[in-house]
Amino acid sequence: MTATGLGWPSGLPAALDAAIQGSRAADGPFAAARSARLDAREEFPAEACALLDGCGIARAYVPAEFGGAPGGLPELLASLRTVARHDVTVAVAHGKTFLGAVSTWVAGSAEQRRALARRILDEDAVVSWGLTEPGRGSDLLAGRLTATATEAGGRRLDGTKWPVNNATRGELISVLARTSPQGGARGFSLFLVDKNRLAEGSWRPLPKEPTHGIRGADISGIRFDGAEVPAGALTGRVGDGLEIVLKSLQLTRTVCCSLSLGAGEHALRLVHAFAERRALYGTTLLRLPLARRVLGRAAATVALADAASLMAARSAHCLTGEMSVVSALAKAGVPAIVQQTIDELAELLGARGFLTDRHVDGMFQKLERDHRVVAIFDGSTAVNRSALIAQFPLLGRLAHSGAHDAAGLAAAADVSALPALDHGALRLMSRTGCSVVQGLSAAAGRLGGLAAAGAVPQRAHEVAAALAQEVTAVADAVTALGPATRDTPPEAFALARRYELCFAGASATHLLLADPADEARALRLTAALERSLELLRPGHEAPPDAYEPVLTALAEPDASAGAAVTAKELIA
Amino acid sequence: MSELTARPVPVSVSADEVREWLRDRVAAHTGRPVEEIRPDLPLTEYGLDSVYVLGLCAEIEDHYGIEVEPTVMWDNPALDPLAEALVPLITAH
Repeated sequence: MTATGLGWPSGLPAALDAAIQGSRAADGPFAAARSARLDAREEFPAEACALLDGCGIARAYVPAEFGGAPGGLPELLASLRTVARHDVTVAVAHGKTFLGAVSTWVAGSAEQRRALARRILDEDAVVSWGLTEPGRGSDLLAGRLTATATEAGGRRLDGTKWPVNNATRGELISVLARTSPQGGARGFSLFLVDKNRLAEGSWRPLPKEPTHGIRGADISGIRFDGAEVPAGALTGRVGDGLEIVLKSLQLTRTVCCSLSLGAGEHALRLVHAFAERRALYGTTLLRLPLARRVLGRAAATVALADAASLMAARSAHCLTGEMSVVSALAKAGVPAIVQQTIDELAELLGARGFLTDRHVDGMFQKLERDHRVVAIFDGSTAVNRSALIAQFPLLGRLAHSGAHDAAGLAAAADVSALPALDHGALRLMSRTGCSVVQGLSAAAGRLGGLAAAGAVPQRAHEVAAALAQEVTAVADAVTALGPATRDTPPEAFALARRYELCFAGASATHLLLADPADEARALRLTAALERSLELLRPGHEAPPDAYEPVLTALAEPDASAGAAVTAKELIA
Repeated sequence: MSELTARPVPVSVSADEVREWLRDRVAAHTGRPVEEIRPDLPLTEYGLDSVYVLGLCAEIEDHYGIEVEPTVMWDNPALDPLAEALVPLITAH
């Protein structure tokens, strides 16, 4: 954990951080030189994954009631972020097991959930998730892989899943299969396939695909030819496949934010450390106004992404029925603002950010390539924005009214406690819209009271009030747009982007309001608020000193965690 | 969460009324004249895919002040059976 981060304060993330820090020297599993070498050779980061196994990261993939970590989705988010801060490829390679397992948590029987939890916790079983097929794009209902009922009561699988992360390395793979010839929303079912129990010759792995980023990851596929699975492989009921997958994606898309947070922090610290050392015009790059502005803006963007991701992960527990909206906002919004930030930081590094082995073993160019995949997998930005646009009519009306689930929102913002995640409460669409956004106006009003009493920075209230105006403007535009249509106009996608930024800014507002006493945290969240307004209003610039607090915090050693990282250590 | 369902709730409603309201919404969603929306054809015929119909379901809940499983849209792919399925939920409310 960093001193200024908002995530889970103890437990797995801290243990992971300590172990990773201890393995960065010489040619340890997380040494930059090793990471660069594996990337160049497109080799799987097996030693790094083994280190994570040793830390018990598997506990983050399993619900607490089945022996998993107590911190639920926020702890998983913080755990994978800790890994991604050093190597996004490793986080992608290991974190996939959560994606493969989540459908069983959502829809499996108690016995299925217990059995899978044991496999993951006791054996570090790698679980994969096979949704996509060659030539079928993002359309889940276009799949041709079939599961035909057998006389023995099981199913026979025929077809191909590709490209799939860990399709080859995984022992288990959750497969979306066509169970009705005509297909459709009720024509698909989900099966958890144990490759060890398939008849020899009834399946084969497809070769690893060369990729632009995450080059070491096992991005491959699997082909089934009459592979028979037992009746117990079915997750949920026949015909429930699409429903289960869409609900599961609400959780996995939220967790994807961890990769962006880690990549953003990694980029920020590499460039900050460089700017601190780089001598120019008799001073350092860090002291030149333009560089300072870029770095401060980047730090504020990471703070904003942090707030949005944390509120999204906590919403899974506290505003569960709203996750169809929240997950789309987080998955479309967070990778986009972090990618933009990485691009801006790259300009400060200049050629060093482009060379593969000159500067810090080429770590910047690697993370920059690695991060590009986040906006693509688990539902691309366009797919997520479409899901959001489908719910625009109700979101527009509720944003105008300001109605929201006040109790759920208060629980989501209060990081001192976390209720268990009720997977049964996930819904395919939100009945209450997005309480984080709809509750912004009321929260801004309450911040006004706190600011008047000197309990929060005055500027926090001003920006939150300005953000509330932006929400109204977005709601007006959404209403004027009319209902969603198949031929979605480009304006709808632009509005979705603005809605994402409103969500991020509102997240920072609620987190600030819930715990205004922590001054460092309040400054960080205020900077995040400033950044959200800057991103929302073209031409608007935050005040000159708006990002100084987050920039200064970057140079300070981590006081809260035992395994401290400073920018200086990172580059050494 | 009653403040979130602001619309007046009809006391009783016929399948015809519900179907006409749905046709109107589908016309609005697809940008077609309402006369072109046939209540006996699956909504996918009009380009409303399985995710878009969930948005329509949100509007149904909002308009009638009821709670329905969104999968009602998938189990009743055309407006005629959908209206029939919704009527008891609306009147029971």
